[in-house]
Amino acid sequence: MLRIERVSHAYGEIVSLRDVSLDLEAGEILCLLGPSGCGKTTLLRIVAGLETDYDGAIVFDGEDIRPVPVHRRGFGLMFQDFALFPHLSTADNIAYGLKRLGLNRREIGEKVQSLLQRVGLEDFDERDVASLSGGQKQRVALARSLAPNPRLLMLDEPLGSLDAQLRDQLALELRQIIKSAGLSAIYVTHDRREAYAVADRIAVMNIGSVRQHGSPRQVYRRPSCAFVARFLGLQNVYSTSDRRITSLLSRAGGGNWRIGSSILIHPAGIRHNGGQTNDAIPTELTLEAAVFRGERYDLTATTDSGLPLSFDLSELPVNVGEKLTVHILPDAIIPLDD
Amino acid sequence: MMRRARQLWVIVFFIPLAFLGLFYAYPLLSIFDVSLRPAGILDLSAFVRLLSSDYYIGTLLFTVYQAALSTVVTLVLATPCAFVFARYQFRGKTLLLSLATLPFVLPTVVVALAFATLLGKDGTLNDLLMAFFTLESTPIQLERSLAMIIIAHVFYNFAVALRIMTSYWSSLGFRVEEAARCLGADELALWRDIRLPLIRPAMLSAGVLVFIFSFTSFGVILILGGIRFATLEVQIYYQAVNMFNLPLAAALSLVQILSMLFMMMIYTSTQKRLQLTLASSAAVAKRPRTLLERLCVSLCVALIAVLLFAPLLALVVRSVLVAGQLDLANFASLVEKSRGSLLFIAPIESVFNSLRFALIAMCAALSLGLIASYMIERRGRWSRLLDPLFMLPLATSAVTLGFGFIIALDEPPLNLRASWLIIPISHTLVALPFVIRSVLPSLRAIPASLREAARTLGAKPVDALLTIDLPLLGRGIAVGATFAFTVSMGEFGASLFVAQRESVTIPVVIYRLLGDPGFASYRQSLAMSVLLMLVCASGFVIIERLRIAGVGEF
Repeated sequence: MLRIERVSHAYGEIVSLRDVSLDLEAGEILCLLGPSGCGKTTLLRIVAGLETDYDGAIVFDGEDIRPVPVHRRGFGLMFQDFALFPHLSTADNIAYGLKRLGLNRREIGEKVQSLLQRVGLEDFDERDVASLSGGQKQRVALARSLAPNPRLLMLDEPLGSLDAQLRDQLALELRQIIKSAGLSAIYVTHDRREAYAVADRIAVMNIGSVRQHGSPRQVYRRPSCAFVARFLGLQNVYSTSDRRITSLLSRAGGGNWRIGSSILIHPAGIRHNGGQTNDAIPTELTLEAAVFRGERYDLTATTDSGLPLSFDLSELPVNVGEKLTVHILPDAIIPLDD
Repeated sequence: MMRRARQLWVIVFFIPLAFLGLFYAYPLLSIFDVSLRPAGILDLSAFVRLLSSDYYIGTLLFTVYQAALSTVVTLVLATPCAFVFARYQFRGKTLLLSLATLPFVLPTVVVALAFATLLGKDGTLNDLLMAFFTLESTPIQLERSLAMIIIAHVFYNFAVALRIMTSYWSSLGFRVEEAARCLGADELALWRDIRLPLIRPAMLSAGVLVFIFSFTSFGVILILGGIRFATLEVQIYYQAVNMFNLPLAAALSLVQILSMLFMMMIYTSTQKRLQLTLASSAAVAKRPRTLLERLCVSLCVALIAVLLFAPLLALVVRSVLVAGQLDLANFASLVEKSRGSLLFIAPIESVFNSLRFALIAMCAALSLGLIASYMIERRGRWSRLLDPLFMLPLATSAVTLGFGFIIALDEPPLNLRASWLIIPISHTLVALPFVIRSVLPSLRAIPASLREAARTLGAKPVDALLTIDLPLLGRGIAVGATFAFTVSMGEFGASLFVAQRESVTIPVVIYRLLGDPGFASYRQSLAMSVLLMLVCASGFVIIERLRIAGVGEF
């Protein structure tokens, strides 16, 4: 439905997007995930038509939409700061796009009421937007961008300014509302937890280009490069030329890693007491640190050769400073691109 | 289609620049031309005369002297008051601080006449003192004295200094002072080692501003001082209008322009230092408790009340009293054109002139100011230059502008000398910086995302402008419009040059009536002044009301 074809963009001397290609199926939620400054917001603005100075093409339903001005695209955009109109009431904010469509008062009134209901703000129609809480503002902004039935919904860090607790709850709610409206959406965030919760597909971006895309599970389980692994919080990334890792690799048998490239030892494949297969590599470690996280312990341990490994277990097996044996599954050793 | 729209915008954006070029730069360059090349070739004789004449050197020195004296007196009075305002919370404080700004919008002719009415030879104060102490002669002899000029300047500038220093002091807080007290500093040491050194940047900034205002003061000095106390401004007017010595007037204007430029540079640098520390602001005022504290607050309130209201009250009372009786005859007499008067029209007709010009100037200044604000706000390569550029008329004395107008716009292709249009044009120029200063903060406060949100919701660029920008700029525009209107109503210096015969404005008429011999003219001038004061005070009330929402930066 939407194809982003080899899009490049620069702010003056600074290149913000480098040859980015992506596509979006109808009804799909694509998440652009990356650190700040990676170009994800710029890409969103280009698709919205707010940035017009770019190379490449944005194709929507088979048509290059470069000449279509912002207001004719029919794409909804939810801003990070919500951009609620401070001089309009909650209801008038939501009605803004409906008025541009030329609907009559009655139709607008009904639509606004049903949207308020959908986002759970039934009695807020006459409220001054300045008096709303962060979470309520977020809902109004969502209702406003949903109101004109956009052909595509874009959300720029829609939960970025809310506190962490609220974020988890609202991310799920957002997904449900987008899905129930049958919308295609592009969702920009720097928070991987949010991306996992919302996305059908994730595109991980860094310094203006897409490093990997796939389902949340694919991206997490098989990160393609060191950047993606680290950005997703996977810390066991090593160079294959690191002496401390050679014995481990030789015991794992013939992997397809090259000398000088990087590998990841995925924590999901580090087992203690059960779950290991016959070809798992037993490794003796010394526990260096343990952080209690409630349902899990985050552990840091080192091998005899001094290689640090991070993983988590549901129970603390030994005390800090003591030795333990873990089993590393061969497919937990993942070769990474540079 | 988009390209044509863009071209249209470029043309629109150039209108304010063209206006500034034609009605600001061109007249000023004409002054340069007349002063440096009076007969078409470089001729510095006017300058030589200027610099070799003790008289004109004296004029320059007196201008500096009176401005310095006004500054010192203002600061001496305003500094302790600012301390009291920052330190203590008392009833009516906000109102008083707001009211103290009233003189800012009062026309100079009104203020001058008000002080003459209060402190003059036949003034209210003399009458009261003579009646009370049964004196034979007038105890207050301030007529045509330097003291009178200084008092009027303090009246004008007191609030400016008070506001700058109060807000700075409030933002500093009093923690440092408490620390010093714990370390054993007594009241004297606090003032010497802590308070005065800390407030110095604000004092400096306020001082430079007061100096600039006093340096360019025209109406007050012309009316209260006369030619004996001529400053540069008065001398320019005198040489151009009474002596027809255009090269000399132009040379004096040039000196004036250069001095202003220099002073504005100093002011900008003091401003920068001020902004650095103004970031944090905390409520630090407390209630006055001890007898001494209460006394200080009372004294401060009394000073402001007397300084502010005594002259205005004297003016109003004098205007409605005829032979000791309440009588509106003075106002009724405005429809008559007194015989032998310098005026071509009945005074009341100037009210219609002023209203008409003020409306035109308001609309023009508003249109130009809005466009200019958008130009400045675009944050392009040039916007840093544009902001100070559009502030230039504020930094140029009205007399210089008026003089520039009559020597530049008096020949084809642009002969406006005989047209009444020249008056609203000059007022537009003077009002433009006020409009920009009122609109720009509101404009800057609109996040770009609001317009973008409107666009993604289907609004055309023009729709976004009308449904987002316009309502959000509403207050700023209203404040700017009121400022423009009030400034135009009270404008004196430029009007005196450019207003002709039938097209004179209220302030010009008041000045002419004061020059007329005879009691009838004096009574008419009182009535006119009260009318003008009411108009400007109404404007002030509107501005202050709107400003409560925090619009406008000065």
